[in-house]
Amino acid sequence: MASDKELSDFLKSVEKRAFKRTVYAVRDDDAALDIVQDSMIRLADKYADRPPAELPLLFQRILSNATMDWFRRQKVRNAVVRNFSDFESSDPDEDFDLLEALEAVAHPAAVEGAEHGVARAQILTAIEAEVARLPDRQREAFLLRYWEELDVAETALAMGCSEGSVKTHCSRAVHSLARALKAKGVQP
Amino acid sequence: MNPVFDLPTPPGAGGRVAHDALEARFGRRLAARLTEGSEALPHDISERLRFAREQALQRARTASAVPAAVAAPAAGTSPGGGGNGFWWRLASVLPGIALVAGLVLIEMEHDDEVTRTAADIDAALLSDDLPPTAYTDPGFAEYLKDSGS
Repeated sequence: MASDKELSDFLKSVEKRAFKRTVYAVRDDDAALDIVQDSMIRLADKYADRPPAELPLLFQRILSNATMDWFRRQKVRNAVVRNFSDFESSDPDEDFDLLEALEAVAHPAAVEGAEHGVARAQILTAIEAEVARLPDRQREAFLLRYWEELDVAETALAMGCSEGSVKTHCSRAVHSLARALKAKGVQP
Repeated sequence: MNPVFDLPTPPGAGGRVAHDALEARFGRRLAARLTEGSEALPHDISERLRFAREQALQRARTASAVPAAVAAPAAGTSPGGGGNGFWWRLASVLPGIALVAGLVLIEMEHDDEVTRTAADIDAALLSDDLPPTAYTDPGFAEYLKDSGS
């Protein structure tokens, strides 16, 4: 059972990412705050007796469900429309050279020189804009997998889909982001 | 070894492994950037998140306190607290006993009321049916006066 301090530390560690993740989805700060607060309370109400190790996955699942509830309440259907792109059978840019786009990743020293002040903020803004532009399921998979650092199985559990779908969503998200950022001349 | 990513590239699976590693590396790098951004949230947002967290923690404390409160009386019925258990059972039966006693009293009062009403009616009938000459009897008039008072 998670102690008061363990639960507090967990919520503190996850709250900002949870807020940003929700903002990407609902595009409204107030709504995102409500959803995060609701998720925290649901977790504390029903799962505070669980071991600390189970909290991250439970919270992500609750947050995803709360976000979906919000969409249902708001009757925002454009999210569903955006999700249709997830079912596309082929990538329109299959020959996109990810290796080339990510060359900077292999040479961080070359990038570090540009990371100052405004440039850093601009890079972050560009990344956030592209993340927000991803289809919902791709964005959720990408953020759970790489930001929340869940493994494939945990991400699949949190999203309620198969591990294969998670891999597909993540891969497409990475390619989309790399392509979009390269087009903007942004090297993350 | 892949010269770019320093990842093992076994024959046959090398391309896939390197590709997955590349995606993962890129994903983590973007995530690190996002973390930088999330750490610099506006003050009011951070405060509202803190408030939300404290509310959630308060709920957790309440949720854990309720089972403890429920468990405390239950301890009285444990083998170690047999005497307390008897009194708890007796105390739980008392309201039932009081209810039954009250109903019995109400029933008795109701019966008395019916009896009194019937007697009044009988008396009225008897007085109505008396011949006028009965009122000339001083003894009967006295009886009626006493009954009326």
